Amino acid sequence: MTESVRITGLHKSFGDLEVLKGIDLVVDTHQVVCLIGASGSGKSTLLRCINLLEPIDAGTIEIDGVAITSGSVDVNAVRRRIGIVFQAFNLFPHMTILRNVALAPEKVLGRSHREAEAQARELLERFGLGDKAEDYPDRLSGGQQQRVAIVRALAMQPDILLLDEVTSALDPVLVAEVLDAIRELADAGMTMVVATHEMGFARDVANDVAFLHEGRILEEGPPDRIFREPQDPETKRFLDRIIAAGRMEGLDVSGGS
Amino acid sequence: MVGGGGPSPDVSSPRGGPGDPRVPRPGGDPRSRILGGRDRSARNVWIAVASTVIFFGVAAIVIVRSPGWPELKASFFDPAEFRYSLPKILSKFVRNVAIFCIAEVFVLLLALLLAVMRSLVGPVFTPLRILSAAYTDVFRGMPTILVIFLLGYGMPSLNLQGIPDSEFFWAIVALVLVYSAYVAEVYRAGIQAVHPSQVAAARSLGLSRWQSMRHVVLPQAVRSVIPPLLNDFIGLQKDSALVAFLGIIEAFQQATIIQQSDFNFTPFVALALVYIVITIPQARAVDRLIARDQRRRQAAAM
Amino acid sequence: MRKLLLGLTVLTILAAACAPKSSSTTPAASGSAASCAVGDLNLHTPGQLTIATGNPAYLPWYGGTSIAGSDWKSGQYTGDPHTGKGYESAFAYALAKQMGFTPDQVVWEGIPFNKSFAPGPKDFDFAMQQISITAKREKAVDFSDGYYDVNQALIADNGSPAIGVTTLAGLKDLRLGAPVGTTSFDVIEQLVQPTTDPKAYPDLSTALKAMKNGQIDGVVVDFPDAFYGYADQIVGQFPPLGGQQEQFGLTFEKGNPLVSCVNQAIAALKADGTLTKLQNKWLQTDADVPVFS
Repeated sequence: MTESVRITGLHKSFGDLEVLKGIDLVVDTHQVVCLIGASGSGKSTLLRCINLLEPIDAGTIEIDGVAITSGSVDVNAVRRRIGIVFQAFNLFPHMTILRNVALAPEKVLGRSHREAEAQARELLERFGLGDKAEDYPDRLSGGQQQRVAIVRALAMQPDILLLDEVTSALDPVLVAEVLDAIRELADAGMTMVVATHEMGFARDVANDVAFLHEGRILEEGPPDRIFREPQDPETKRFLDRIIAAGRMEGLDVSGGS
Repeated sequence: MVGGGGPSPDVSSPRGGPGDPRVPRPGGDPRSRILGGRDRSARNVWIAVASTVIFFGVAAIVIVRSPGWPELKASFFDPAEFRYSLPKILSKFVRNVAIFCIAEVFVLLLALLLAVMRSLVGPVFTPLRILSAAYTDVFRGMPTILVIFLLGYGMPSLNLQGIPDSEFFWAIVALVLVYSAYVAEVYRAGIQAVHPSQVAAARSLGLSRWQSMRHVVLPQAVRSVIPPLLNDFIGLQKDSALVAFLGIIEAFQQATIIQQSDFNFTPFVALALVYIVITIPQARAVDRLIARDQRRRQAAAM
Repeated sequence: MRKLLLGLTVLTILAAACAPKSSSTTPAASGSAASCAVGDLNLHTPGQLTIATGNPAYLPWYGGTSIAGSDWKSGQYTGDPHTGKGYESAFAYALAKQMGFTPDQVVWEGIPFNKSFAPGPKDFDFAMQQISITAKREKAVDFSDGYYDVNQALIADNGSPAIGVTTLAGLKDLRLGAPVGTTSFDVIEQLVQPTTDPKAYPDLSTALKAMKNGQIDGVVVDFPDAFYGYADQIVGQFPPLGGQQEQFGLTFEKGNPLVSCVNQAIAALKADGTLTKLQNKWLQTDADVPVFS
């Protein structure tokens, strides 16, 4: 199994506040790694470091064996291969859905305008958004917008997809359609790192779950083990809170309804 | 959303009685429900109409009964002078229109350049940022009329080959230089108002800094500052009158000529009307643009 | 609600009762032949003759070196009304003396041209600023009788295409300019009707600057101005507009009874030859300047 992402000793501070205190993580190709943990534990920051949106203070990140954190790397080239989808969708409001999706392939990958639009339409169709192509983002529901954001990232044909709590801002009713879309991608073999609060989803889809707490990965392993037999007391405490809040059903971990 | 459920109700007192605060009262003006009292909307309209009529009526009475009114009326509102001066003013107004339309095009472009220069990130771009900031300071610091004088009388007197003599040319150049400084700041505010998450999304897709600026930031920035841009454009339309100082007879100068020749101020009233008439449609057109932009921006601000 | 109605009623009553401001220069009840003794005159400030003129004040109308404390700055082409030098300044003091004032009772007020005819009470008794008498203007102000017959002349620098032109037709293709609001400008528009639009400048100095810059070929000025060396040559003078001799007059607020007393004084100055003497002294009229045909 090849490694898509290898992170070693990653440190990241914002001013005086150290947010990532030495992260080691490996993501194998075609695998889905879910990051779980409380807000502020560093999940988002970690993802933003991987695609170089945030500069890191110490450590290395290798993509397909190539270190991307050295000074000489072409940042844009790296970003072309790593797609990211944000919690707040961040669609471009002044463009149609179609243009949102086709813009980067045209400008960055150098496709012709017609080619880019045709491929965009195809992708949108595949995710059930074909009839929205000429609409502006403000006409779509939150779930639809988030799916467009995923399609937009996919249009660049990335090797790796990073998903930063992409359902957290959505109405519960709309969460399912987005999770389904991600599931499909996982089935298709996309390498993904998914930060999420949706434990049920993580349990079903992840190959590997990492629990972040205050800037460190305290525990990591297959979802079955993490969710059924968490070793670290912090992990246990976190999972207990999740269960008490009614956000994870169907597990026979101690307590809960 | 109907209130209900929640903590267990007090079953000892019946719900729905007149004073029961737990039951929301249906219907009526929501404002009056918050402010208290019965629904008064129709009555409010009548009060508004009555007080408006009384206020303006009183103002009109005061003005018309003042002793200087006949003189003022003859001096500012003379129908014959109005009929005489309006066509002449309109024919010269064409020059103002030419001046501010041409100038505005260059202002929008130059100001954009200045704003982008100022927004460039990275130490290698420091001289450009300084240049842009200095330009803005200088040309916002000087009164427009001064720049027009300096360029309009100063440049031709250098008597150099290739420097145009035309007053039109220097007037437009002066207006462009001055207004670009103001508009650059407006653009800059717009650029800074574009949420950084938009830039993050664009960069994450692999777009370069320049591509992000051009396709994602600037379109949004410009749309969001259309009201102040229009404001400055309207100011430019008024300042087009300053070219009169170079001798060009534009609308204001024409009004002045008639005024000083006939000792009557009505031409200015005619000119004021012309300006108001052209300004109103612009304001309405921009209102529509803004409304359309607002809807779209709400989608992004989540 | 009741309070609101009460408030509005009070407002209405106040407005209706608004007493008109008493005007300081309201014309005194006329009818009887008013006496023109100094003590009986209707003056803006009693005991003073307040005369308004422009600032800067140009030669040959105002000359001399500016006196201490004066708002006027004298220079190569400008003077100070207080000095009594220059045709209008000299005329003003002669007029004042004729009416019974001493020189230090004459007070000068600098105003922009608009103020000489703007509606409403004036801060001066009359304005003296090379103002031409026209019927249209008489709707807004009262003019005194004329104190100078004026023609317009064209001045230009050496090398200008205007030099040597003797006919109005010959001027048609030239670029001409004049200070705004002057009859000089009307002359260009109506007598010459040039193919290029004439230029109207804020004042004489800017018109001259434009000529020096080569932006216009010549400037039209009041005839006496032409002799002041503003330009190299006087090309010619214009026939009177509309066939009627143009005259300068003093402007008064409409209905001011002072006009009749001033006219009496002017008539006296004309009769005893003072006016002609002043004109000969201050205004060059003997040069042979051809008239455009």
